Amino acid sequence: MKYQIVIAGFGGQGVVFLVKVLALCAGNRDLTFLGTENHGMSQRGGAVSCDIKVGDFTNPVIDNGQADLIIGLDPNETLRNLHLLKQDAYVVSNSDRPFPELPFHVALSDGNAKALAGEFPIQGLNAYMLGVALASVENFPFTIDEVETALRQINAKVADQNIAIVHQAMGDVAGRK
Amino acid sequence: MEQSMKQTLMGNDAIAWGIVHANVDMISGYPGTPSSEILGMVQKIKHQLDLPIYAEWATNEKVGFEVAYAGAIAGKRTVATMKQVGLNVASDALMSASYIGNLGGMLLIAADDPGFHSSQTEQDSRVFAKFARIPVLDPATPQDAYDMTKYGVELSERFQVPVMLRPVMRVDHAREIIEMDAETHFTPNTGAFQRDVARWAGVPRAGRLQQGYDVLDRIETIKAYNWEHHLQPKFDALTGGKLLILAGGTGYAFTLETLADLGVDADVVKIEMPYPLPAEKIKARFDAYEKILVVEEPYPLIEEDLAHPKLYGKKTGTMHKIDEMKKEHILFALQKLGVYEGANIYEVPKFDLGFDVPDRPPALCPGCPHRDIYYAIMKVFKKKKSIYPSDIGCYTLALSQGAIDSILCMGASVAMASGFSIADPSKTVVATIGDGTFFHSGIPPLLNAVYQNHRFILIILDNSTIAMTGRQGTPERFHQNIDIAKIVEGMGITCYEHTYSHEMEENIDFMKHIKSEFEKPEHQGPLVVRVRQFCILDNERKDDWIPNLFAEVDPEKCVACDSCTTVYKCPPMAYNADGKIEIDPFLCAGCGGCLDVVCPTDAFQLDVIKSKGGAS
Repeated sequence: MKYQIVIAGFGGQGVVFLVKVLALCAGNRDLTFLGTENHGMSQRGGAVSCDIKVGDFTNPVIDNGQADLIIGLDPNETLRNLHLLKQDAYVVSNSDRPFPELPFHVALSDGNAKALAGEFPIQGLNAYMLGVALASVENFPFTIDEVETALRQINAKVADQNIAIVHQAMGDVAGRK
Repeated sequence: MEQSMKQTLMGNDAIAWGIVHANVDMISGYPGTPSSEILGMVQKIKHQLDLPIYAEWATNEKVGFEVAYAGAIAGKRTVATMKQVGLNVASDALMSASYIGNLGGMLLIAADDPGFHSSQTEQDSRVFAKFARIPVLDPATPQDAYDMTKYGVELSERFQVPVMLRPVMRVDHAREIIEMDAETHFTPNTGAFQRDVARWAGVPRAGRLQQGYDVLDRIETIKAYNWEHHLQPKFDALTGGKLLILAGGTGYAFTLETLADLGVDADVVKIEMPYPLPAEKIKARFDAYEKILVVEEPYPLIEEDLAHPKLYGKKTGTMHKIDEMKKEHILFALQKLGVYEGANIYEVPKFDLGFDVPDRPPALCPGCPHRDIYYAIMKVFKKKKSIYPSDIGCYTLALSQGAIDSILCMGASVAMASGFSIADPSKTVVATIGDGTFFHSGIPPLLNAVYQNHRFILIILDNSTIAMTGRQGTPERFHQNIDIAKIVEGMGITCYEHTYSHEMEENIDFMKHIKSEFEKPEHQGPLVVRVRQFCILDNERKDDWIPNLFAEVDPEKCVACDSCTTVYKCPPMAYNADGKIEIDPFLCAGCGGCLDVVCPTDAFQLDVIKSKGGAS
């Protein structure tokens, strides 16, 4: 199997948390996993993206036109990283506005509005978008059970809340379809 | 045979485990991206497993290297860790250490940053190893980094010379599932210094000349070892053909994937120890190939050592010459060499957004007090009449506020302030430096400025942490008797003190006071200020400082004048669809810094509900 995922957002949104979750998913199934982080000098509020390569790879960087999926926690950071996607890849993004016509499968959700409306705490935006990806991406490499196991391994204390948010997102996508 | 286990680790964590599993007794160094997590992780493991390891930060890289080096002279196994530009600072010690050698194994970890992600230069530490005539190992992956850390310590002990491990950012900050020792059986080494004046205190000319001959002999021995143990088995397994690729470190990892992606056949030899290379033995194997390509980064080290008419790389314009490795660079090289005629599969898919995605330039964190202090400095010491030299640290990001005129290297702000004050006395020089950088290399130039009576203002931004590299402690944080004010006073000058206030007016008033003190006719030499502040990401201290005053915008008052987005530059502030500034409630840290002065029309006001702990 070969599957390449970009996760994009800005510092403080929990981009690296998602990388750790997916790394655990891969490790639990004994799949090869390579990942890397791209961020400049700024910490909170600066652009961050992570590359994740599951399967038979030898280096952690995703080149242009190679990724199967991007999970974006911020619309601009998603748009900024579209060059990494292959044709017909999946775009899953937090966004308060529609995207222009693109040669990709696009699934948008306004996570900020939902957090503002009190549907989940903003710290759960990363888990919410992971749920949107699980429900929208046809060939997503991991199952909900695998994601739940990883969420429990990474931080048992907040696992229940994160798992509830993932399910909430999956329910929201199913309700929309 | 040790039992092994699998674990998902970041490269730097893998190196830390390698250090522990190599029975290293002492690790010292200075934080610097991408190396910083190594020492911190050793500290964690040490505390978890209660191991007798010395794992402490030093005041700078040279100090860190020397602490570790003396340990290795006395028979301990040691590691010094730093980033590539940190090695510049430690290089004086390294050059001599290579002549003198060591008894216990010493691994020097110099983490490179091809692509300038967070460094001022893209220098290649492998070249430094060659300059110092010590062997260097170049890991391709976190797994390599773990294995080579253990191996490097052994190698150093075998040849009695420091060995360099040169991981690049894509190894340090890569994550993969690695195989490592399942159990930690830490066995400390005995430290017993043996007097040997001729060796440990060799002087010019006779003593050092003899050691110089020893260095040359040793390098020849290691070359032969490199051939026998690393290279010959790899070359012997190859049959020859059209193309041979010699790939070092990440170059190897990128080459394998590119060849698989493109379906190109080539023999690939991984160069694990790029210096010292047995060049003649390698070149003798070139006969079996039409062309040889070198894939390495960032400098053409292997390529220069193996110069040959059939050899291609950076110097022939076949590979990229600067910036980090990409598979596309290798694809282009294969095209140029005529072994790949297909399309560029790494081309960006064709699409048009119809608009430019707004930039998110590097900025100080929301709630960072540096922003307010720089704002106050600029408000009082007007740009046209001032020069603002600054230094290396988070506060470098005040560049986006237009509050910095020069950046050179660690500690340079102080001596550059001296230089500017001599060269252009018509302007007021206001230099800024963090407390970590002041301790690292800001003290000698301040002594010099007092000694030579240089007229400038130095503002020490004291947040008690080395923030940018992950909030390592500074000396005064853990040893309260160390006091910047006393260090300054020890030079016979006053240290003016200010405590950051979330009320901008107070910061501005203080800077006005400093300006009037500096302009007094009797004032001479440098005027030093220490501003006590905090780091917004410092969980131990920030709650004592943050007033939880959240801001919102009165759209009636906002006239879209750009003041806040150009001079104050706080990430939550951005224009909305109505052309008014809006504050992102998820990003605002509640510092209250923008509530006064910052907006000329007073459009920032207190979000009363959120400030009382309610939802916005």
